[in-house]
Amino acid sequence: MPERETDVLVIGSGAGGGAVAKELAPLVAAGKRVTVVEWGAKLRPEEYTGREVDMAEKLYFDSGGMLTQDRAMTLAMGRAYGGSTVVYTGTSLTVPERVIAKWGVPGLDWRDVVTRSQKYLEENNVHLLDEDEINDNNRLFLDGCRHLGIRVEQFPINVKGCRGSSLCNLGCPSLAKQGTHRVQLPAAERAGVEVVTNCRVERIGEREVTASVMNPAWGEPSSWEPGRYRIRAKLVVVSSGAVQGPALLLRSGFGDRLPALGRYLTLHPALILVGEHEHEITNFYGHPKSYYCDEFLESERFLLETCMYFPFTTAKNLIGFGAEHSELMRAFPRLQMILVLAIDPALPSNRLTLGGDGEPVVDYTLTEPVIDSLHASMRASARIFFAAGARRVHAPAGVRFFIDRSQADRVDELIPRERVVPGRMSVTSAHVMGGCRMGSGVADSVTDGWGQVHGTPWLYVADASLFPHCSEINPYVTIMALADRVAERIRDRAGELLA
Amino acid sequence: MDDDGWARFEAIIDSALAERPPGVRRQIGTFLNLIRIGPALRWGRTFDGLDDRRRDAWLRWLQDGPIGLFRQGFWGLKTLLFMGYYGQCEVWTEIGYAPLFDARGRLGAGA
Repeated sequence: MPERETDVLVIGSGAGGGAVAKELAPLVAAGKRVTVVEWGAKLRPEEYTGREVDMAEKLYFDSGGMLTQDRAMTLAMGRAYGGSTVVYTGTSLTVPERVIAKWGVPGLDWRDVVTRSQKYLEENNVHLLDEDEINDNNRLFLDGCRHLGIRVEQFPINVKGCRGSSLCNLGCPSLAKQGTHRVQLPAAERAGVEVVTNCRVERIGEREVTASVMNPAWGEPSSWEPGRYRIRAKLVVVSSGAVQGPALLLRSGFGDRLPALGRYLTLHPALILVGEHEHEITNFYGHPKSYYCDEFLESERFLLETCMYFPFTTAKNLIGFGAEHSELMRAFPRLQMILVLAIDPALPSNRLTLGGDGEPVVDYTLTEPVIDSLHASMRASARIFFAAGARRVHAPAGVRFFIDRSQADRVDELIPRERVVPGRMSVTSAHVMGGCRMGSGVADSVTDGWGQVHGTPWLYVADASLFPHCSEINPYVTIMALADRVAERIRDRAGELLA
Repeated sequence: MDDDGWARFEAIIDSALAERPPGVRRQIGTFLNLIRIGPALRWGRTFDGLDDRRRDAWLRWLQDGPIGLFRQGFWGLKTLLFMGYYGQCEVWTEIGYAPLFDARGRLGAGA
């Protein structure tokens, strides 16, 4: 087996890995070697085709449809040079103080997280889109909420040169989205960090990993020849996300002494609702996600966001089939969409384990309060659609496929709680968090407040798996801020850690 | 769908199934048999022998009914079929979906 050596090995290149790579690049100037290994491929610009099924296969684990163990949810996680930052919509929010307070991680100060977050907001060109860049789908959400007296905020977005393709979740064909593949990784590589794509780490041993390189039929070939490798590293940073990261550590035997490893997963379970308008609206032109509503966050534990999805994704999220389903799909240019996200608790029973084949299994149960939140969010969304002028609404828990606007005053009756049934609806997650939570002790955490795995000074974690509880916002910027912190700790201790 | 459409439909589904573990493929096959044979317990006929009303009723019972495994199986099968159909770019014109890489000139007040 060929052997490679490096000083710092970063596993994963998404929000966490990309940030760590750039922040550790100064070590290269000091004569150290920094290597990033990424399971996914680096796509060529012309490979961003906007074809839904093709791009899902190239950019997501399990084509964006990884199932939880009970098959009640699907998880969408990116796998590419840039990780999930290639496929998310670029919304960039700073974590609220109450979330960091709830996390209760010793030494983790909210003001420090804000300072680090601000750095990434600037680095990633995060800004509010101008009014003339906002499409009808988003504007109607704003109008509907204002009509009902519901508070709405605009999402800051990390784009430069956005051309309004609305294809963010399939990889931006204009390369406008400022994910790590556009900002941090290229900067790291210019500074001498090596990034190896199409490279899957199989196991972590004592200051070494075994990995395999295999080039898929898309993307640039890896800079390493196909085959298995043993990579020796003085320090390893796991930035593989909240499923693959804990899975790798479990496979490597760390679960024996870290009972919290893989536990306390949170997902922000989400549903899509659809409203149909009388006339065509701009929905698949323009950035898909301009507004959100957190008015119900404290009272009913859910968020509402604007969204716009593609034909197959839309079709599978409608509960039903036959003539009605086909009729609504053929109204595609008249559809307005809302994404609802529930704020879920961090429970030790919601966990990541390994199957018999060593692959990750997500054992997650939707709790009754979370189902209550999803139910309440559907009713709120239906009201917003009607307030925006929709002629009819499809809600996953509706007693009938359509709720007509003549029935708008009966929304509560027509979306009953008993219809919110796991397994029947398409509940998804694109915010997978936890599994290697930060904390003070081995009993209920995996790393300290700086991402170092308890008892293993050469092993760090820098991704969403650090979150002790969910972030209650899109986790992207928070991941980068925490990764920034991890990198700073490594730089500060480089003399000792990389001796 | 025309013959080409059916060919694309099958190709998409075959590709998706090839990525799934053998166990999942077996489960789908078992569920398809359930759909086909199950109605015999209630109506004395297999799915092929039912009229449209009873076919619809049977499928809705699987979708909405009390057995979680059946609900999940129905959702999974439906997802696969919709992937095969709506995953085809050739269907875009049927539903009015016409994405553009550069849509800047298309924005503005509509509804």
